[in-house]
This record gives sequence, structure tokens and C-alpha cells, in this order.
Amino acid sequence: MTNALRAAAAILAAIWFVAVVPAEARDKVKVGFIGPLTGGVSANGLGGRNSADLAVRLRNADAKAKYEYELVVLDDECKPNVAVQAATKMAAEKDIIAAATHYCSSTAIATVDVYHKFGLPVVVWGAVLPDITYRNKYPEVHRVNGTMINQNETNAELLTRLGYKTFAVIHDTTDYGKGHNEYFSAALAKRGGKIVGTFGVGADQQDFTAELTQIKALNPEVIYFGGLTPIGVRIRAQMDKLGIKAVFDGTSGIVSDAYIQGLGPLAEGTLAFREGAPVEKLPGGKFFMEKYTAQKYDNPPEAYGAFAFAAMDLILDSIEKVGPDRRKVIDDLANVKNRDSIIGKITFDDHGQNTVSVITKYVVQDGKWVVWEDSEYASGKRKLPRQK
Amino acid sequence: MSEGREKSRAPLLPGVIALALASLYLSALLAVEKQSLIIGLLALAVIVALGAYWMGWLASVSQSFADRENILGALAIVAAFAVAAYFHDDHFVLLLIVTVLLYTVATLGLNIQFGYAGVLNFAGASFFGIGAYTAAVLNARTAVPPLVVLLIGGIIAALIGSLLLLPVLRTRGHYAALVTIAFALLLKAFLEVSDVLGGPQGLQVKGMTVGGWSFNDNIELGKIELSFYMSYFVLSLALLVCAFILVRRLERSWIGLNLDALRLDETAASCFGLDVARWKITAFTLGNFLIGVAGALFGMVGGFVAPNNYTFADSLILVSILLLGGVGNPWGLAVATVIVIVVPEKLQTIQEYRFLLYAVMVIAVLLFRPEGLLPRPLRSYFPGWRP
Amino acid sequence: MDIGLLAQYIMNGLMVGMMYALVAVGFTLFFGVLDVIQFAHGDVLTVGAFTALMTFVGIRTAGVHSGSIALLAMVIVAIFATAGLGMLIARYLVLPLRAAPALNTLLITLMLGTVLRESVRLFYPQGANPKPFPALLPANSINFGNFNLRLDNAIMLAAGAAVIVGVEFLFNRTKLGLAIRAVAQDEETARTMGINFVAIVLVAFAIGSGLAAFAGVMNGFYYNEINFGMGLYLGVVGFAAAIIGGLGSIYGAILGGFLFAALQTIGTVALPFASAYKDVFAFAVIIIFMAWRPTGLIREKISERV
Repeated sequence: MTNALRAAAAILAAIWFVAVVPAEARDKVKVGFIGPLTGGVSANGLGGRNSADLAVRLRNADAKAKYEYELVVLDDECKPNVAVQAATKMAAEKDIIAAATHYCSSTAIATVDVYHKFGLPVVVWGAVLPDITYRNKYPEVHRVNGTMINQNETNAELLTRLGYKTFAVIHDTTDYGKGHNEYFSAALAKRGGKIVGTFGVGADQQDFTAELTQIKALNPEVIYFGGLTPIGVRIRAQMDKLGIKAVFDGTSGIVSDAYIQGLGPLAEGTLAFREGAPVEKLPGGKFFMEKYTAQKYDNPPEAYGAFAFAAMDLILDSIEKVGPDRRKVIDDLANVKNRDSIIGKITFDDHGQNTVSVITKYVVQDGKWVVWEDSEYASGKRKLPRQK
Repeated sequence: MSEGREKSRAPLLPGVIALALASLYLSALLAVEKQSLIIGLLALAVIVALGAYWMGWLASVSQSFADRENILGALAIVAAFAVAAYFHDDHFVLLLIVTVLLYTVATLGLNIQFGYAGVLNFAGASFFGIGAYTAAVLNARTAVPPLVVLLIGGIIAALIGSLLLLPVLRTRGHYAALVTIAFALLLKAFLEVSDVLGGPQGLQVKGMTVGGWSFNDNIELGKIELSFYMSYFVLSLALLVCAFILVRRLERSWIGLNLDALRLDETAASCFGLDVARWKITAFTLGNFLIGVAGALFGMVGGFVAPNNYTFADSLILVSILLLGGVGNPWGLAVATVIVIVVPEKLQTIQEYRFLLYAVMVIAVLLFRPEGLLPRPLRSYFPGWRP
Repeated sequence: MDIGLLAQYIMNGLMVGMMYALVAVGFTLFFGVLDVIQFAHGDVLTVGAFTALMTFVGIRTAGVHSGSIALLAMVIVAIFATAGLGMLIARYLVLPLRAAPALNTLLITLMLGTVLRESVRLFYPQGANPKPFPALLPANSINFGNFNLRLDNAIMLAAGAAVIVGVEFLFNRTKLGLAIRAVAQDEETARTMGINFVAIVLVAFAIGSGLAAFAGVMNGFYYNEINFGMGLYLGVVGFAAAIIGGLGSIYGAILGGFLFAALQTIGTVALPFASAYKDVFAFAVIIIFMAWRPTGLIREKISERV
């Protein structure tokens, strides 16, 4: 009898393990990430990928999560045509519910139509061109980081306040560089600065001696650069070769360690601006940095890692709430108001754009990007080139 | 007499079996996701192909194809529809199939230039791009019906190609190569600089519409939902069939005979009274036309054109497909295109290495089997024709 | 136009022209000796530049901090390694295909160029990114108004000129040069005269590739950066330059190199607001030139059998 009871108990236990426990096993859900993993800005892409990966890992480790998430990563190489192929691939795969996409503005603006065509909800984490969210009113496209309008206003403000009057503008010919040129020129005109020459250059142009020789003849006090790190490095180096003495004033595109590594001591005194507070000062910044370092990734999160984390986190929150359905996620993301995240409260306006009001000013000091207010340039101990 | 001719034609069966097996294999390869399974499938293909070669089955299959081409061609179309129907709602697989079809058309154009007339063209991707940009500009700015846009794309590619005619005609060998290489680089630089054509940011291309019905909308037949790529598939297949028939007829005609004579020995051909310039111009222009049409349709399928899509490296890919498949053999081209386009997409691990692998494969082919995978069979004027 | 500005443009043009000339000499050498166009030449240059970078990294990690030792080591290792690569290419890919149609050699070397380029991109750590090249030459400069004369540019220009003079001396005054010229003129007769054909071909390839490595290192020092695609462009330009000057003639190659640079400079000066048009302009001129003079300024003498 006892044997029979034991046997029955064993069988019941077995049934329980087989039937109930697998039912506890969570459904798999795929989410996507696209960024420049190779090429000149790969440091930012890899940082973003690691941050998104961190968000997925933390969520999978969370016992309260309803689903198990798998991150599908694609490389857009910071080239619009590759980005469209990657976006088509990701959007055409019905299993991928939502994605955090793009650091390069040129790629992000090229792919918005693809996401709309296939109905894939995306949250942009690093591209700053306003057109991405504002050219069309696509319900699929959202963005957690700010746009370049504010950054260029702050830029023009600081430089005119420091007393600089003549500017030359170099920008790359993608929509990113052209956008920067447009907004900076407008912001500067409002404050009375004079632009002595505007030069468009190719995104992978090697030789800038032609443009810089002409700039040398025009003799501006500041060279404003609207473009990304690889050509920023080249222009700054060739400025030195031609003996041009001017302030090198850049945008969020050059805020990366790769810029300083590429130039060494020549990077000293470069200015740049970025939306969002530095990571340490973000509401969830310490938490993010702790978890990130604990994972021992090969690359640092770079300037936009925190935004990538926040974008992925937002997506995961949405899927948890409404389930793995693209249309439901799009509806949910349309109603994001004051949601908490490591970068602060996220609210999407009617175009899916989050407002990031803080603009951080950076200057390179002793081989590091230092916040302007904390630097010796602000206090007057050091002077920028041709500063009065 | 005619009975004797009929009896000496190769049987239909080997061709049919090969076609059926190929379709099944392609479907399996496209459907499978797991990397290990894909590697297994590829290894299987290599083993089967080598085995068939040694057992002499490949020879009987190629004879069957050569003799019964019309019927086998029709069956191939049916097989293509079957495969597409199987993947009717899978966007990405259909996109791959459409890519294969259009690249085959472009390579057929290259085949006319290089395989038949011996005119080097290292700017194939540039003409592809010219067709695509024409589609982008015309679809966006004018009300020209998109089907006509395809033709215009081809015409514009042929026209721009004719700018190169004088240098191409006057040069031989490596000098001729330099002309087209310089053109490839020139076009990419030009596209990147010109603001009107979008610069490095590229242009969006509006999709194809036929009689008011947009190809970019998903199709719903009752309960079955078809991916919108199906419409593009049908159009691309139609284009491929036309191009294939054109190339075959060309090859078998007196024009093809002239082109072959030209390629084999230019001096001797001119001694026999062939107008070398006229035939080179014909081949070059016709080839560019085909490439341009394929490019225009591909631009509409992808919805986006940018200078980076049409670089010298992409032209080299088209040339690799031509060399791998067997210069002058349209069926070989189809097989090579599938290998070059589908395999790296499925085998994700080698995606990064694909340019390297193509180049190594082509070097191996050039060193050990310069005729390619499926070499061009001896000229036969009609399928199954015997003297 | 301001004289200082003009001088600056001329200086830029000279630097670039020197690099094109060095690559063009290589092309012309290969063609003269074997009647073959080695399309992988530009990518051999890339390998040379990356070898120099690797040497530099190796030397720094070994703890040697001297700039001049690093400079010498980089240049020597790059030249010898690339010369070796050139010899391997000649021995295993070009010589065996001498009997095959010339087209096959052309295609094989084109594909080989792709192999070299992709190998650098894939196998060098983070090869796809542009890599900073160390600045080991003195950077002092003298300013003459709009013209900035930098010491490192002047040194490189002088070094390049010295190399070209050295190559010219090698060809016209030494026995080795005599042997190379003999082989270029008539292979069979040279062999009957006792010249070791294969050895001379290998030496010619070694010299040409070594020159390319020198050009690559110069390029690296000039732009302070190298990337895996640099060889493709330089290769095509060098080839075009060799053709303008007439394949088979060393002087023609040098002339062609500086002519191409002059074309680009004219393009830049004439169209100041889009220096990218300089490429469009230069290549368009090349194509038109090919229509006018299919075998270059110094005509090639060819005979063909039917």
C-alpha cells in the first residue's frame, strides 16, 4: 500500500513537473537593434548595442517579466543604403516586434519609410536630425534623444558670448550635415555672427586641403564642423598641417573617445555640444553605469549608450504591457507621457519626439571631454585659440 | 528523316528531375533558419553536384536542357511560381527571390557585352544605378506610367553608355578595362556630389503602379494574404523570361554569330568584312539597356537609391557572377546568381566575409576551370538541331 | 589669385602627384616586363601601409620610444614585406597564367585586389575603421603669408624625388636595370643572352611593390591616417597615370602621375566650392583622353597575330 502511495506521489510529482513547470517557461519575443557596428563611428554603435543588450539582459533576469526577450542585432554601417537593407530585413521578419534604431541621422532618415511600410514600431536612440520625426507623421517612428535644433542654438550662444565674430562652416553633404548647417546658420544669424564661407564635404572624404586652403585665405576665428568623428579627425589634423589657427567647434557627432584617440594632443580645445546631461548626472546614470561595468563589455557606452538603454527599456515595458503585437505596441507608444527611465521622464509629442531640454557643452581638456562649466577654459585659466 | 531527328534528341526526363530537385532544394534553403541546418544543406548540395558530375548525370542533364529548352523553360517558370507560392507571405524570402531574378537580368545584359561580344564592362553596377536613379526621378517628378519608366530607365542607361562608345571602340584589352573602371568611379563621385540627385543621402523611389493599383500594397485573396512583393515577383519573372528569350534568340541568330566571331578574333573578323564597330556598339548598347531596365525595377522594389549601392565593388560582383556561372551560358548565370545572392544572406556567419569569398572563388575558377561552373555548350542553332 | 594661395595649391599637387607617380612606375614596370596589368597593385600598397602601422605598434609595445628608429623600421619592414608579397603574386598567380588569354590575368589580379582589401578589413583588428598613422616626421612649419611650408611635407617630397632618381639610376646605369630593360624589350632574346627570366620578373615585381609600399607610407604620413580602401583609389589613379604617360615607359609614368595631380588641382581651383568634383573632372578627362590617344602619350608598339 505504502509502495503504491509512493508510486502515485511520484507520478503526480512527475506530472506536475512536466505540465506545470514548462508552463512557467516564458514565451520568446524578439526585439531588434540597428546601429553602426563597423566603420568610422562603430564605437558609438557598439556602445549602443551593448546598452540595448544590457536592457534585455536585465529584463530577462527579472522574475516578474512575462516574456523572454531575444535581441536581434543588425549593422547599418552608417550608410543609408545598407541601413535600408538592414531595416527591410528587420521589418520584413514578422517575429521582431519592435526595434531601437540608428545612431547616424543619414541612416535614420532613409529608413523611416521602410518602418512605416512594414508597420514596425521603432524608437530612435542616437540620431538628431529633426526631420526623422517631423518630416512625416508616422505612428511607427519615435525618438528618445533630442534633436539638433537646441544644440545649435546653445552652440551659437556660447561662441558669440565668448566674443567670436567670424565663422567658417564645414558640413558633410548627408542630411545630417546639411541639417546642422541650416540650424547653426539660422541660430548664428540671430545673434549677429558672420559666416565667411560654407563648404560641403563628402562623408568619407580624405583630403580637405582644397577647402582648408580657401578657409585659410578667408581667415575666420571659428571653424564650425557639422559632421561625424572620422572626418572631424581629418579636418582638425589637416587644419594643423596648413597652419590654420581657429577654434574647432563641433556637434554631438564628434563627442566620442574615438575623436580624442585619433588626434592626440591636437584635440585640445575642441568644443562640442550634446543634448542630455552627462551620464553621471542623469537620474538613472549611476545605476546604468554600475550595471554596464558589471557586464564587462569590450566597449564603453559612449555618448548615446544611456539613450539606447532607455529606448530598449521603453520597448520592453510596452511589450510587457500589451503583449507581442506590433500594432498594439504602436498604439501604446503613442500614449507615452511622463514615463520613468534612466534618462528622466519620457513624453512623446504628437510626432513621437521626446523633449530633452538639457544641452551639455563640452570641451576637450587634457585628452578628455570635460563639461564646459567645469573646465579651465570657462574659468579663464586656459584660453581657446584667438580668444580675447 | 524527321523521325530520326526526333529520336536523337535528348530525353526530357533528366532535365525535369534536375529542375524539380533544384526547386525543392531552393525552397528548403530559403525556408530553413538554423545555421547548422543551412551548412548541412550546402554541404549536401556540393556532394550531390560532385557526385552527379562524376557519374555523368550532369552531362545528360545539360544535354537535356540544350535540346529541350523550350519545354524546360516553361517548366522552370511553373517551378518558380510554385516556390513563390510556398513563400507567399514571407516578405524577406520573396525579396531575395526578386533580387535574384533582377540580378540575373542585369548579368544577362553583361553577358551580351562580355560573353558574346567580348566587350569588357566593369561599370555594370553603374548602369544598374542609372536605371534606378531614372526610376527615382521620373516616379517622383513626372506622371509617366511606371512600366514606361522601366523602358526609359533602360534607354537612358544605353544613352549614357553610348558616351563611352568612342573610348571603348578605340581601346583594347586593359585600356578598355580602364575606360569602364574610370567611368564607374566617375559616376559614383558624380552621384555623391550632385545635390539634385540626392547626394550621398540618396533618393526615395515610389513603387510600381499598374493601372492605378500600387505594387506596394499587400494583396488579399479571400483569406490568404500575399506579401506585396508577389506583384514585383510576377513582373520580375516576366522581365527575366523576356530577357532570357531575347538573349537566346540573339545568340542563335546571325547577330550572335557576328558577335561570336568578333569576340574570338577581332582582326580576322574584320578581314572577313564584319563591321567591328557596329557589332560592338550593338552589344554594348543592348547590354546596357537590359541592365538599365533591371536597375529601374530593382530601384522600385527597394524603394531607395544611393550612390553607395552602385560602386566599383558591386560591378565586380556582377562580373564574378558572370565568370562563376560560365561566360555565355544563361542557365549558368541563374545558378551563379543564386549562389552569390542567396547563400551569404542565409549563412549569416559568412555575411561579413562574402566579398572575400567571392573573390577567392573567382580566382579558383579562373585558375582551374576558366569556363565556369556551367560552361557554354557548342553553338546549336535550334534546340535539338542536328546537322 | 594670391601667390601664396597658388603656391599652397602647387605644393598640395606636388605631394599627391609624387604618390601617384610612385604607383604608376610600378604599373609600368609590371607591364613592361610581363605585358600584364597587375590590378592588385593599389591594394598591395594598402598592405604595405598596414604593415608599416603594425611595425610601429610592435616597436612601441617592445618599449622602444625613439621616433627615428620607429620611422626607419616602418619604412624598411613595409618595403621588404611588400616586395615579398609582390614576388609571391608574380610567382604563383601571374607567371603561371602567361599562356592564358590576357583577360584572365586581368580578372585574376582584380579579384586578388579584392582579396587583399577584404583581408585587411577583416583580419586587421577593427580594420573597417580608419586608423590613425603616427606622426613621426618633424612638424615645424614656416608661414609665407597664405603658404604654409611644413618640414615633413618637404622631407617627404625630397625623399620621393630621391627614390625616383634612384629608380631611374637603377634602370639606366646598372646591370640589373639593363637586364630588366632587355626582358621588357624581348623576352626570348634576353633568355638566349643568358638572363634568368623568372628571377628578373620577380625582381621587377619586388621593386614595383616596394615602391608602392613607400607611396603607402608617404600617404600615411601625409594624411596621418590609413584605411583599407586607400589602395583602390590610388591604384586606379596610378593606372590611369601610367596609361597617360604610356605603358612601358618609366618617364611616362612619372609624367602621368604629376599630370593627373595637375588635373585634379586645376579641377579644385576652377570649381572651388565642391572639391569632390575634382575626381569627376579628372576621370572625365581620362576617358576623353583614352578616346583620343588609346595607348597613351608615348605610344605603345604592338603587333598582333591573326
